[in-house]
Amino acid sequence: MKAGVARLLTRLYPRVWRQRYGAEFEALLEASPGGLRAAANVLWSAAHEHIQGGNMERDPGSFGAIVRHPSALIPMAMSLIALALVLGPIAIYGPPVREPDEGAIAHLWQILMAGQMPVLAFFAIKWLPRAPKSTLAVLALQAGAVLAAMAPVFYFNL
Amino acid sequence: MRSTRHVVLDENGPELGHYSDPPLLVLASLSNGPKHGHAMIEDILGLCGTQLGPGTLYGAIARLEQQGWIEPLPAEDRRRPYRITAEGLRVLRARLATLQQFTKAGAERLEAL
Repeated sequence: MKAGVARLLTRLYPRVWRQRYGAEFEALLEASPGGLRAAANVLWSAAHEHIQGGNMERDPGSFGAIVRHPSALIPMAMSLIALALVLGPIAIYGPPVREPDEGAIAHLWQILMAGQMPVLAFFAIKWLPRAPKSTLAVLALQAGAVLAAMAPVFYFNL
Repeated sequence: MRSTRHVVLDENGPELGHYSDPPLLVLASLSNGPKHGHAMIEDILGLCGTQLGPGTLYGAIARLEQQGWIEPLPAEDRRRPYRITAEGLRVLRARLATLQQFTKAGAERLEAL
């Protein structure tokens, strides 16, 4: 197998896995005859390593480990759902006109935005003392998701 | 040990595929001395006709190493040999004994037909 292809295929694996096995795996790929079957085998195995978390001991304080916690993911998911709730009708029906009765979508948006606050607080209280740097990075992501969900509301003055 | 079913087709036709358990095959390959990845693939091919893909091989190596059943030796150039540990040998013996029992029982049933 050509060195460039071997390097490219090795890069499909999780970073932690590559740090441990990358060099020897790339050497094995270069020594192997290659072909579609070998490439498919590597693709499948790399995907499996990603799903299995790389099968390696992940640093529990790393960004990758922190961001996988439900208390990190749930607020971001709630913000994204809130954003979709606003953008969906706008995409279908065009910019809405402000009405006295806010409607079901507005109430859902408010519940999603307010409901994630206790989860955010829990996440920050639990993880900031343990892994400040990674937790701040995740909090920045969560803040970005909140701002993204609020942006169309303010932009369209809903 | 993670049980993996991996069927490799050979020239005898699709109905005569090889049953393969990559971690067990790696343990068996290392039982007669340390080997690096390419040597393991060749050895396993000679041992039972199964050609492990590079991804499958390293998936098995990673799991076996994590379980402490094999261990890496110092790298030779970019290739790293592995050797089986005492615990790995114990596991291999146990698995082979189970397979032997299974083979014997299966053969007896076939003879009774």
